Amino acid sequence: MKAAGFPKLARISVPGLLVVIALVASVAALAIVAVRGHPPVTRAQQVQQIAAGLHCPICKDLSVADSPAPLAQQMRKEIARKLSAGESADQIRAGFVAAYGDSVLMSPPSQGLAGAAYYLPWLVLACGLVVAVTLLRRWLRTPASDPAEAETSKLSEAQLRAVAKEVAQLRVEEPG
Amino acid sequence: MTRRITGRRTWLLTGVVSVVAMIVALLATGLGRDPSVIASPLVGRGAPNFTLPQLDGPSVTLSKLRGQIVVLNFWASWCTECQVEQAALDRTWQRFQDSGVVVIGVDFEDTAGDARGYVRNANVTYPIVEDAGSRTALAYGLRGVPETFVLSRSGRIVSHLIGPLNAAQLTGEINSMLDASSR
Repeated sequence: MKAAGFPKLARISVPGLLVVIALVASVAALAIVAVRGHPPVTRAQQVQQIAAGLHCPICKDLSVADSPAPLAQQMRKEIARKLSAGESADQIRAGFVAAYGDSVLMSPPSQGLAGAAYYLPWLVLACGLVVAVTLLRRWLRTPASDPAEAETSKLSEAQLRAVAKEVAQLRVEEPG
Repeated sequence: MTRRITGRRTWLLTGVVSVVAMIVALLATGLGRDPSVIASPLVGRGAPNFTLPQLDGPSVTLSKLRGQIVVLNFWASWCTECQVEQAALDRTWQRFQDSGVVVIGVDFEDTAGDARGYVRNANVTYPIVEDAGSRTALAYGLRGVPETFVLSRSGRIVSHLIGPLNAAQLTGEINSMLDASSR
């Protein structure tokens, strides 16, 4: 009875299951690495990582790390100098934001109105899921192939009440 | 039953209209703004302090100029637009220096030799300081030259002007500040 309840799962072989587990583990590992990134080791890597998150103010769509502009070079030097002075990556980023505004960040900040860029897609996805589930449930509940039911749905509430009353009366008159 | 369906439809319609209205509002806000104009987050805040060496003279420390209106002009000898505004800056300096107004030129991404040559040829009379390493330029969120910051007597950034200035614009800025401080 239980096997009949999960026919597809029962058909998956052990090697197949192992492949699925390996795939899921690989994707999870990649996602963790993509989100966290590698921790920078050397000072140059630290500079590179901070510069990669800053938008070159005089370039179009280039980070401070990628831009050959003199101002971007000075920004990289300034990052290195501030790191040597003991400032953290967050403090350095905050310093550039104070001078240039949020537009200096390659990714919008997660706080304030700009944070909508992060949570709005999830909100839209959740709304989409609710709409999809609602529509799916409605379609499954009222199959168009059943003409009798389709006809019933055309009756008004008053008519439905009258039919229910008639049925109840028939049951009283002819019990069983 | 019919009432319930009508109620759901109303909710669905309200939701769709709200989402569409939000998208239209976002687009209207975004498209109605000139992408080349970026408001400086420093306006209204205290000006970052600096001590920079003059091309030919003692160092200038901004905090020591507290109590005076400061016109801080970022420029470079290689910048052609800076040449356009240079006469206006010099006239402003000549006219207002006795009224408690200081004009300072901050040389950006330049060599001292080129800057000296320019100052001599153009007969610049206001003090010019060197910003080696562009640390001051970065602290002021500079995106290019010419850019000018007008600082109040209390050291607050009152305006951030991008591009070449003209004498009328600069005089207007300074007069409004002098009027405000005399009230």
